[in-house]
Amino acid sequence: MKRRSTLAATAVGALAALVISACSSNGSTTASTGGSGGSTASYNAGVSQVVNPSTQKGGTLIFDSHASPDSFDPGNTYYAWVLNFSRLYSMALFTYQSCPGNCGLNLVPDLATDMGTTSSDGKTWTFHIKPNIKYENGSVVQASDVKYAIERQYDRSVMSNGPTYYQALLTDPSYPGPYKDRAKNLMGLTAIDVPDATTLVFHLQAPFPDLPYVLAFPNSAPVPPSADTGSNYQLHPLSTGPYKFQSYQLNKQLTMVPNPEWNPATDPQKKQLASKIIINLNVNQADIDNRLLSGDIDVDAAGVGVGPTAQAKILSNPTYKANADNPLNGFGRFVYIDTKVAPFTNLHCREAVEYAANKTTLQNAWGGPVVGGEIASTVNVPTVVGYQKFDLYEALTKPAGDLTAAKQQLSMCGQPNGFTTNMAYRNDNPQETAAATALQASLAAVGIKLTLKGFPGGSYYTNFAGAPAYVHSHDIGLAAGGWGADWPSGYGFLDALSNGNAIASSGNANIEELNDPVINNLFTKSSTLSGGARNAIWPQVDHQIMTDAGILPEVYQKALLYRPPNLTNAYVQTYYGMYNYVVLGVKS
Amino acid sequence: MAVHIDVASGPGGPPDVEAGPEGKAIEGRSLGQIAWMRLRRDKVAMGGGIVVVLLILAAIVGPHVVQSPDTFHENLIDPTFQRPIGTFGGISLAHPFGVEPQTGRDLLARIVVGAQYSLLIAFLATLLSVIIGTFFGVVAGYFGGWVDTIIARAMDVFLAFPLLVFALALAGVIPDSSFGLSGNTLRIAVLIFVIGFFNWPYIGRIIRGQTLSLREREFVDAARSLGARGPYILFRELLPNLVAPILVYSTLLIPSNILFEAALDYLGVGLYVPTPTWGQMLSSAVTNQYWYIDPEYMLVPGITIFITVMAFNLFGDGLRDALDPKTR
Amino acid sequence: MIFFIIRRLIMTVFLLLVVSMLTFAIFFLVPRLGGETPYELAAQYVGRTPIPSEIHAVEIKLGLDAPIWLQYGRYVKGIVLGVHYNNGTDVSYCPFPCFGFSFRNDQPVWPQMTSDIPVTVSLALGAAVLWLIGGVAVGVLSALRKGTFFDRLSMGVALAGVSLPVFFTGLIALYLFSYRWSLFPNVHYVGITTNPVQWARNLILPWITLAFLYAALYARITRAGMLETMGEDYIRTARAKGLPERKVILKHGLRATLTPIVTIFGMDLGLLLGGAILTESVFSLPGLGQFTILAIQNHDLPEIMGVVMLAAFFIVIANLIVDILYTVIDPRVRI
Repeated sequence: MKRRSTLAATAVGALAALVISACSSNGSTTASTGGSGGSTASYNAGVSQVVNPSTQKGGTLIFDSHASPDSFDPGNTYYAWVLNFSRLYSMALFTYQSCPGNCGLNLVPDLATDMGTTSSDGKTWTFHIKPNIKYENGSVVQASDVKYAIERQYDRSVMSNGPTYYQALLTDPSYPGPYKDRAKNLMGLTAIDVPDATTLVFHLQAPFPDLPYVLAFPNSAPVPPSADTGSNYQLHPLSTGPYKFQSYQLNKQLTMVPNPEWNPATDPQKKQLASKIIINLNVNQADIDNRLLSGDIDVDAAGVGVGPTAQAKILSNPTYKANADNPLNGFGRFVYIDTKVAPFTNLHCREAVEYAANKTTLQNAWGGPVVGGEIASTVNVPTVVGYQKFDLYEALTKPAGDLTAAKQQLSMCGQPNGFTTNMAYRNDNPQETAAATALQASLAAVGIKLTLKGFPGGSYYTNFAGAPAYVHSHDIGLAAGGWGADWPSGYGFLDALSNGNAIASSGNANIEELNDPVINNLFTKSSTLSGGARNAIWPQVDHQIMTDAGILPEVYQKALLYRPPNLTNAYVQTYYGMYNYVVLGVKS
Repeated sequence: MAVHIDVASGPGGPPDVEAGPEGKAIEGRSLGQIAWMRLRRDKVAMGGGIVVVLLILAAIVGPHVVQSPDTFHENLIDPTFQRPIGTFGGISLAHPFGVEPQTGRDLLARIVVGAQYSLLIAFLATLLSVIIGTFFGVVAGYFGGWVDTIIARAMDVFLAFPLLVFALALAGVIPDSSFGLSGNTLRIAVLIFVIGFFNWPYIGRIIRGQTLSLREREFVDAARSLGARGPYILFRELLPNLVAPILVYSTLLIPSNILFEAALDYLGVGLYVPTPTWGQMLSSAVTNQYWYIDPEYMLVPGITIFITVMAFNLFGDGLRDALDPKTR
Repeated sequence: MIFFIIRRLIMTVFLLLVVSMLTFAIFFLVPRLGGETPYELAAQYVGRTPIPSEIHAVEIKLGLDAPIWLQYGRYVKGIVLGVHYNNGTDVSYCPFPCFGFSFRNDQPVWPQMTSDIPVTVSLALGAAVLWLIGGVAVGVLSALRKGTFFDRLSMGVALAGVSLPVFFTGLIALYLFSYRWSLFPNVHYVGITTNPVQWARNLILPWITLAFLYAALYARITRAGMLETMGEDYIRTARAKGLPERKVILKHGLRATLTPIVTIFGMDLGLLLGGAILTESVFSLPGLGQFTILAIQNHDLPEIMGVVMLAAFFIVIANLIVDILYTVIDPRVRI
């Protein structure tokens, strides 16, 4: 029903836009009042509707990014904004439905024809790809190209950035990758069969109902073996999307132009409106904010929102405010309480932290209620399937903390005067730094003394907080962190965070080292269920994590995004928590 | 940005410090007395000197007098805009310099505690530079020959290093706990080492030049003819005459080191939170863009740095003028 | 003269070798001494959720498992003889000078650096012209009008200039002239070949910020030098001979003062060419300075090595040019 109203709005808006543009072709009226008749711009409009719906083609769409991507190679990226952006030039097997609101969490087929079929034991999946999809050079996409793209993921010395799900899920984990694989046509991965040019058969080690979500990553976008150039492929990936690379200066700028071989009928989730897309890299964040507000650029690519100065300007100026959106960005910010580091081996010491923490100062550290987020009382975030609201430690009723209850818990765990412990955080992340400082100050009120230990973000999860050996040897009782689901199912969000079987020696996300049989069994059970029954598992997992006090939730993070008035079809894609980059256009 | 010890690498050569007229009984005033008299007459320099003394006092005594720099006061912060409630960044009787955005921490306390760290690092780094630079400068100037060549080439190498890059890199590369130290102590040590160690050629060059000209003086010949040997001449004859330029250039090196440390903070390799330093406060105001909504937060550390550096510069200039008999 | 230059060039190579050794030691050796293993080092260059075999693979690919001296040897050999790099599907060759491949994006470092050089050169040279002319002129005038209001004012401003951190002045300038009063909106770098007018327009604010700091310095130095020189006997003689005052000042007075100014100018320009880190950061200019910051933030060791050596090279060459200029300025100097 939401979709239909969106379609209706789009149709009306398109008609209105045609009329208006026909009348004012010589005019110079600025769009500051949101001229088209569809949805007028207003604060937070982009969260639930399409703002400035339009089918008008032309113009240059300009993105600015404050950093370089990890890689523009669809097979070698894990940054959230690149996952969004790369859909402009790559067609993965699945993608998310392009619409504002919760329908944006729905997975829909992109290169695939449908959601796939499973065998009765759930270990074999069959997919078909759409026929006659062409690359930018005119050649037709083969199913073997999809297999090859996935095979590339197995050589981690060349493709070292992206997710590593295939090794964990498919039956051939020791496959060395196509660069070391000299089998016929480089098709050595036995886990995937290609019976014909449009069919793929996946063999899994164990049933995994979320496989289509894994295939929504850009690394399933087809790569013809003849066009692959390994670590140089990032310089010009062969496009199957609406745009193709025109020129790319590393660390500086990428320019894309429309891909003439792209067929909109085969790819309804995307549009091809702008006649040029430019993304500038490594621009100062303050500059980005200012250029957004002045209309010199159209999108802040990182999609995490504006800084405090722009925030103040936007919120205090009604004209600017009408062009802003304040969505949840899908991230939860936490402090992990390591259940294997004394004195947090005792449940009551952990609960003391939950009660004593001043959630308001934590929220302020992340930017306050608008830019930081809502105070969280659960691990799961509202935009993930399986979210249910509950509050075990008065986070919502007593946001400044409950020192009495905290002191009670402390005496129950045998530390009535508090104790000392270490807290890890990323010192190159200013908000996380501020949050750690805030927590240090609030826990000091009950005698819990934190020694803050900062680590660089690049190796935080691989060498420090996410390496249990390091955590134990350095007595790190608390660790700051954040988590965004790789896909919006409760499994995607909660498994790596709390499954005892998911504890890894490096890159560990279950930093609180929870190994609760209740939780582990719930996960095992979930792989045998589907649909509503499966979704009912997740609140139980969430509840158990909080009962175990393994995680102190800080905020459901929000972002203050700005869409300049000449941006068309702007709305927040709920899964990414940022604007949907594949439908944008500009008014010329 | 080149970090300079300012005018120190002198126009037309280093200031010529005359040997004191020792041994003349009639109306003899020591160099120190003459310099002091001159300095006293230079009001601007004295002003600078007084400010310097006050700052040092504030750094030593202050932290015990002010409130805690780490206490959050979230009730003083407007939650929507994350800025201090009230004008001028929340100035009030309880918080004479206002409070920090987002956290509400008292700025006066943070400035005073920050003075401790900023001044400590700058002083110790300067001391390190001076010790290394004087040693090598004197040895190179006095012994000459191949000793001089080697030391002069070494100075070239160090001067060829892009200093800021090195400081940045080194501070970022050293692991969290090494060489027996950890945390802030390690960071302070690293900063002192980096700033002091890479700056020694500036002093080294000047001292070398001074020594070169001094060793040709008659009093050195006289000492030698009396039977004095190398070390005696170095320590008893030359060194006292080098005290003046050492003093002057140290005073001029300190402010440059303060600025350098501020730059390192801006680039993210300063001390760990929640320790305040002036550079960190300034960089936080700059990178987090608080300066637009709360300019006071940027002006307070900015002006503090400015006043401190100015004071040292003025005093150093005055000291140099006082010690140089040729001016005026 | 020629022999002097050749000797100095040989010394330059030697110097660069020493710099490279020290740099390598700092970045590769110090972490080892501090207890970091190659595995831990390699873990910084992988994505968010790596598997242990992945980290090992990266460790081997980047050559981090080899002993330090071997890594250094390979690096130097690579600079001179070039490197064959396996990018997966084939082997590419990176010719002299090959400063290795970025640990982050596997692309050769040298082309990434050279594309940034024009930006830094534009910034440095433009500011240099401004500060040299401005600083020296103000210094000379202050010296000649010693004690007057102009003198006190200009020296006061100069003192302020050297007492403010450059990122502070840059930021204030940006705020006032770009954001508040829109005189120079949307400052970003435009190549001189693309559009000379825009190139200059966008660089004016960074030029002024940088030049302000140095002009202040040079004004002070020039003034002090001029005061000293103008008190010399030969100036009095020149005046007594009846030479016009302007000739006295410029030909005789300034000339003598120039030596230390040229020395410092060479040093400063050399340092700046290696990357005006703070200025480029404030104004988002994609030059060597920003390249350096990114390289360090990303722990991209080959990029760090490359930019440090390039910066050292500029400094050394600048010193060489300065020494040659001495012979022109000061006829007493013989090399």
